[in-house]
Amino acid sequence: MEDLARGIAEAGFRNSVIYVLLAVIAALFLGTVFFSVYAVLLRARHAIRDRRRAGLAAKWEVPLMLALADPERSEAVHALVEEKHRLRFVGFVLEYARRVRGEERAVLAALARPYLGLVAARADSRREEVRARAIQTLGTLGLPAHAARVIAGLDDPSPLVAMVAARALARRETPEYAGEVLRRLERFKGWDRRFLASMLAAMGPEVAGTLRLGLGDRRVEPWTRALLAEACAIQGDFLSADVAERVLRESEERELRLSALRLLVGVGRPDHAETVKALCRADDEVVRAQALHALGTVGGRDDVPFLLEAMYDPYPWAALHAARGALAAGGVESLRRLADSDDPRASLARHALGEADAA
Amino acid sequence: MIELMWAAIGAFNYVVLAYFVLLNSVYLGTSLFAFRALRKYAMRLKSLDLSDLVTSGGAPPITLIAPAYNEALTCVESVRSLLTIEYPDYEVIVVNDGSSDETLVRLTEAFELEPASRVPTAKLPTKPVRGVYRSRLHPSLWVIDKVNGGKADALNVGINHCYTPIFSAMDADSLLEPQALMRIVRPFLEDATTVAAGGILRIANGCVVSRGRVVEVRLPQSLLARFQVLEYLRVFLSGRMGWAALDATLIISGAFGIFRRATVVDAGGYATDTVGEDMELIVRLHRHCSEAGIPYRIQFVPDPVAWTECPESLAVLGRQRDRWQRGLFQTLTRHSRMLFRPTYGAAGMLAFPYFFFLEMLGPVIEFLGYLSFSITILAGRVDWLLVIAFLAVAVVLGGVLSLSAVALEELSFRRYPRLRDLFKLFGLAALENLGYRQLNTWWRVKGTYSALRRVEGWGKMTRVGFAVREGS
Repeated sequence: MEDLARGIAEAGFRNSVIYVLLAVIAALFLGTVFFSVYAVLLRARHAIRDRRRAGLAAKWEVPLMLALADPERSEAVHALVEEKHRLRFVGFVLEYARRVRGEERAVLAALARPYLGLVAARADSRREEVRARAIQTLGTLGLPAHAARVIAGLDDPSPLVAMVAARALARRETPEYAGEVLRRLERFKGWDRRFLASMLAAMGPEVAGTLRLGLGDRRVEPWTRALLAEACAIQGDFLSADVAERVLRESEERELRLSALRLLVGVGRPDHAETVKALCRADDEVVRAQALHALGTVGGRDDVPFLLEAMYDPYPWAALHAARGALAAGGVESLRRLADSDDPRASLARHALGEADAA
Repeated sequence: MIELMWAAIGAFNYVVLAYFVLLNSVYLGTSLFAFRALRKYAMRLKSLDLSDLVTSGGAPPITLIAPAYNEALTCVESVRSLLTIEYPDYEVIVVNDGSSDETLVRLTEAFELEPASRVPTAKLPTKPVRGVYRSRLHPSLWVIDKVNGGKADALNVGINHCYTPIFSAMDADSLLEPQALMRIVRPFLEDATTVAAGGILRIANGCVVSRGRVVEVRLPQSLLARFQVLEYLRVFLSGRMGWAALDATLIISGAFGIFRRATVVDAGGYATDTVGEDMELIVRLHRHCSEAGIPYRIQFVPDPVAWTECPESLAVLGRQRDRWQRGLFQTLTRHSRMLFRPTYGAAGMLAFPYFFFLEMLGPVIEFLGYLSFSITILAGRVDWLLVIAFLAVAVVLGGVLSLSAVALEELSFRRYPRLRDLFKLFGLAALENLGYRQLNTWWRVKGTYSALRRVEGWGKMTRVGFAVREGS
């Protein structure tokens, strides 16, 4: 009797396992069907969408070009935009607007203007990518009418939206918004500094004074001041050279010092050489290397022996910058002699001379 | 005693089943994460114009380091393709790793190389450099000739001579898409703590190549290469994308990745005593940054593409998989202290255990599972219906995973434009689990055995070459 009960129990267990497995197989099979159908539907959807977009582009392209040549013909373009395709039309115009400036962009902005209300509504979407796209569109085609919405984007919780807004506002054509971006630089701390500096520099010479002021202001955070120094360097702002030199004398902050030294490489003068030279003996090898680089451009012939000596620096970048510096400071002949000798610095000298030849 | 043995075999069968369930659950999990991440990435691409981002002057300069060993047949074409990449500021350093063929001669003739001086700026130990050359035609092209020391050693020479803050490590015979650098550099712009980013590798077999660029994407002719197309889709789109979404990237393919130079130098460069130097570097970067308290991110970007030629013969593919498994084994055993250590974040708590238990030990468990299952069946001690049901689950589950990767491809990049190629991929998803998967398991078991025997070397890899369109 016990055996029978055990047998029934085992058979019951076996059957349960088989039923479970069959259910799993059925579910997985449905999974294969789902993914296959999903892939085919995606393919079909993309094909239909691409065809529709190509059709719309073909319909709008020539009238758009004609309107660009003669803004009077803009009405003809609007007549071709059906209500359901308005957002698509704005996207189409945006692609062109990214590639042009000035008068042509103004014409494109005028073409998109009647439909930008639809885009503005999307700037409140819950999805950050949709908001970012909307802000980008408004920033490119909707200024100044939608400026408030784009500026609000700078305070968006999403770093992506904030950056899109900053890039839309930080333009040479719209210096009036520069202050809004500069006030919120801390928001972009996670981004690459060189990239941010180039964005700030793109705002043009009208903001140079503001950048300079921020660089010299000790109340401003070192990270921001370093960023402003990099932006001044890209702009080649000669008036910021004295500020950079003062920063070197006053600040112990490493990143700020490095940025100030990079700024002096481009805009420094011989009267800055002493300050720079003091840093050529810094314990921090990166600061030392950058200072040697700067000394090459702000220094003169008198500094060549010092720079030749610095070519012995154990830190490879410092030695390399010293060689480059010696060349820039007018030590060509000394470097040539070194290059032809069996001095340990010969290869560095040859390298610096080779770079100069290639340039 | 015999009953005890059967009990042990029975128990082991359950271990294999548990492994199977766990492994596939992880695959399904990463696929789900990948779906979400890819959708988000595709939308993000629309919101921040890539060329605007990179060409606005903020793009960091990059050095492409391409080690070449006996690449006389393909090196000129490959270097030409590197010189046509769309990026505002980059240099190319080809490191001739003591080739015994005419690699250096071909490069010298094609690009008018002349001796030049380029001092190293880092001191990673390497085999001696024999000469440095610069192209008269393309001043941004440098060739460094050195004594043979292997790929990792050649990369270290390139790093020593790299003057840019970021470098890209790649295979000399891979073809980068023109916008690949623009796309892969993006994480470095968006997050200053990024120390490495990997791109996607795709199979070029069957594609048409013209002037160093893939101009027509097609599936390969050979079934073996087609399986690898599907496998790469699964590995990169489902696997690496999913792990990247969890911030736990543990592998960046040696064929295409970019790195912050200073961090790699501080971490000691590429290890020359492993055949898995690409994975080893990433794992070491995790350790280096975590242990030193340096904030860092290692990212995967799904759309910068490097096209590569995959093996089309069983022998060569077997050697490649053997080497990959050895590299995995060497890396994971060397850095086993990362296992389940919260110090290393998601990499230590999720990715490392996954690779350790499921990717490194998994093939052995799977192989032994095939054996014990076979023994149990042959001895007639198994319920056939159960066996068939389990096998059906295995095959259909494998199919679901592969099909989800195909769906991910359709959702995102759609590189295979022909509809018939899509249907072929469906067919491959069904076929793959009937033979190809088992072969792979066998090669990986062999790789584990080779690693235990401390076998070294890459094994001979022969290449057929790309299908080049006439007139190109």
